[in-house]
Amino acid sequence: MRIYALAGVLAVALGGCASEQMTIHGVPSEKRVAVNAAQSEIAAAFADAAATAAATEHEKTALPVAGAAPEDTPADAPSMQTYDPWERTNRLTYRFNARFDEAIFLPVSNRYRRAVPGPIRTGVYNFFANLGEADSVINYALQLRIGYGARSLGRFLINSTIGIGGLFDIAKRFNLPAVPTGFSATLANWGMHPGPYLVIPLLGPSTLRDGVGYAADYGTAYAVNVAGLYRGNASYGLTVVHGVDDRSRVRFRYYATGSPFEYEIVRFLYVRKRLIEDEGLRAKHRKGNTQSESQQENAVAAPAGK
Amino acid sequence: MMQGKRLCIALAAVLWGATLAKAEPPVEPPPALGPPAELADSAGLRATVFGTPPGDLAEVPTRVPLSEINIKLPWARPVPAVFWFDRELRVWFSPQKKPAPLAIIISGTGGDGNTTNISVLRAALYGAGYHVLTMPSPTFPGFIISASSTGVAGDLLQDGHDLYASMQQIIARLPRKVQITDIDVLGYSLGGANAAIVKSIDATEGKLKIHRAVMINPPVSLFSSVGRLDKLFASSIGTGDAGVEILYRRLYAGLANLYKASDKVRLDENFVLAVAATSLKTDAEYSAAIALSFRTALVNMFFAGDLYAGTGVVVDPEHPPKVGDSLEETQRILRGKPFSEYFTRVFAPYYLQHRPNATSASLIADNRLEIIGDALRSNPDYYAQTNSNDLILDRRELAWLKATLGSRIAVYSGGGHLGNIGAREQVSDLLAMLDGRWGGPGK
Repeated sequence: MRIYALAGVLAVALGGCASEQMTIHGVPSEKRVAVNAAQSEIAAAFADAAATAAATEHEKTALPVAGAAPEDTPADAPSMQTYDPWERTNRLTYRFNARFDEAIFLPVSNRYRRAVPGPIRTGVYNFFANLGEADSVINYALQLRIGYGARSLGRFLINSTIGIGGLFDIAKRFNLPAVPTGFSATLANWGMHPGPYLVIPLLGPSTLRDGVGYAADYGTAYAVNVAGLYRGNASYGLTVVHGVDDRSRVRFRYYATGSPFEYEIVRFLYVRKRLIEDEGLRAKHRKGNTQSESQQENAVAAPAGK
Repeated sequence: MMQGKRLCIALAAVLWGATLAKAEPPVEPPPALGPPAELADSAGLRATVFGTPPGDLAEVPTRVPLSEINIKLPWARPVPAVFWFDRELRVWFSPQKKPAPLAIIISGTGGDGNTTNISVLRAALYGAGYHVLTMPSPTFPGFIISASSTGVAGDLLQDGHDLYASMQQIIARLPRKVQITDIDVLGYSLGGANAAIVKSIDATEGKLKIHRAVMINPPVSLFSSVGRLDKLFASSIGTGDAGVEILYRRLYAGLANLYKASDKVRLDENFVLAVAATSLKTDAEYSAAIALSFRTALVNMFFAGDLYAGTGVVVDPEHPPKVGDSLEETQRILRGKPFSEYFTRVFAPYYLQHRPNATSASLIADNRLEIIGDALRSNPDYYAQTNSNDLILDRRELAWLKATLGSRIAVYSGGGHLGNIGAREQVSDLLAMLDGRWGGPGK
């Protein structure tokens, strides 16, 4: 809450600066990889999806798994309308977030990207991801997915020691890629519906369940207090660095669409993405009941995001 | 026109995510298959959706410096509450360290000044030694709100004047250390036509002394091109919003099924893109993706135009929406509306009222490149690049372009609409044209 209040004050302070008729400021340079990103990503991911599709075909013909998730039909798709009883508040929060992002969050994260070399930023990312493993261990336990929990624990131990306090993701090289989870996934696992759409100040699009999940994740971090980093004055600085690092990895810019319907578009995409992820989670669980956990683990691909 | 960038990637991704829904027959009969043959060929559709294959891309510099410019323009109209974020015009600038010519790139329909196509062109031009300034399309909401003097986008001359005035304001305020030796303009799709018009306006007003203009995949007649896009939408998706809903349901189910089968732990952009890339298979699916990306642009333009013109199609002029108001229903209604309706219910009423001698026919005629036909024919500084299977042109229009520009046009055999931007041949020809070295096809 204190962070929120501080951010609010800063937003007001910066928002109050009258700008000149024209402002010009540097943004991170465009790199060749980024220029060709759209094409390269499609191409790179192409093979991946083709393999998945082939594997699916193979599975369908060769291994009719008992209890496999039933296929969705178009009639199963959720309505194009989204349950959003708090829309008016949500919209105002969305606008607050957009202004905060434009005034503070984005410029700071852009400067971070320009000033800090890539390898160091990767180290920062790894460091926070490693701290997050504690939350994953607890949540996998609550989801009764012991194999995954053991993996998260193993990753934490390896990366905290050989990986020098989590700065290097050594575990990935031991064929233990990160598969983070959190309370929202646990709640979904217990069958809780996402509930109404919710825009959280500073964090952005969410649902009631995801919001509760965030809060619980934060509470867990506070309670577990890995290495004493989550309490005391240092924790504020750490939270800010974490936030800036996270922001620098998200390729989203508020109102880059210029569209008055951006709120609707983001809500539509966010909620459907989460619904599909929930379905995926349930499907994996079903499969988990019929396959051994280790078999299933081997099939898990490394998550993107790095 | 896959340039709506992230929005389009995201939308097309989730909506198009997975037409692999082959395992289950759709509940409702699928929409009609494929566009009418006279609209587009299969290769053209495919190229339009996927763009230039990575292996064919021209070599570009590893890094391109980038600055963002936000400018408040004195003639801008009052900003409606729901457009609070579009108060300033946003453009991007990549300066050279030494004196250099300036290339100004104008985006295509509905695109901002930082689309994927713009990135590709910017990198190529910066690498060739140009300062590069990239501008949104006059049909992009950010431009309509901050830089249009009417708020009703899509009129070639009006948009050209607004673009030209904006360029002057920006160039006059660039840092003094940026030394400009010459100015060229270019644009792709609608932006190509805009670029040529801007050059012709400058020829009269002389404020910028624009040297050359290159049109990449331009339309010849705006309303004939958008008519083709309306047809493409109707044939691949259907009329009204119902078609969109059927499509959405099919795609949602497909994406969900693939995701469930994939063992991925997160539904990330790469997965969705990959699914989109592998699952767009038929002409009907390509057409739907293209038609929807144009429709997305139209929805914004329609809304802004209706609001400014006070035509009351979806926005009550007496009670315009406020920041907290839901726009979902408005968006749903607009998704079902074709370009032709924008013309008859917003564009024409507005311009007929503001131009005493205009008629519907004259408005359509004023939106043909023919209005600068003489300059295109006789001035050696106008160039064009297009493709023989560009779906926004019919055979007559392509012939007109060839006849008008003579040896100053390159017509490639593939590529559809913008599907070869950034390809080696396209880039080297573009640079030759901007440099005045272009001696005709194959030279």
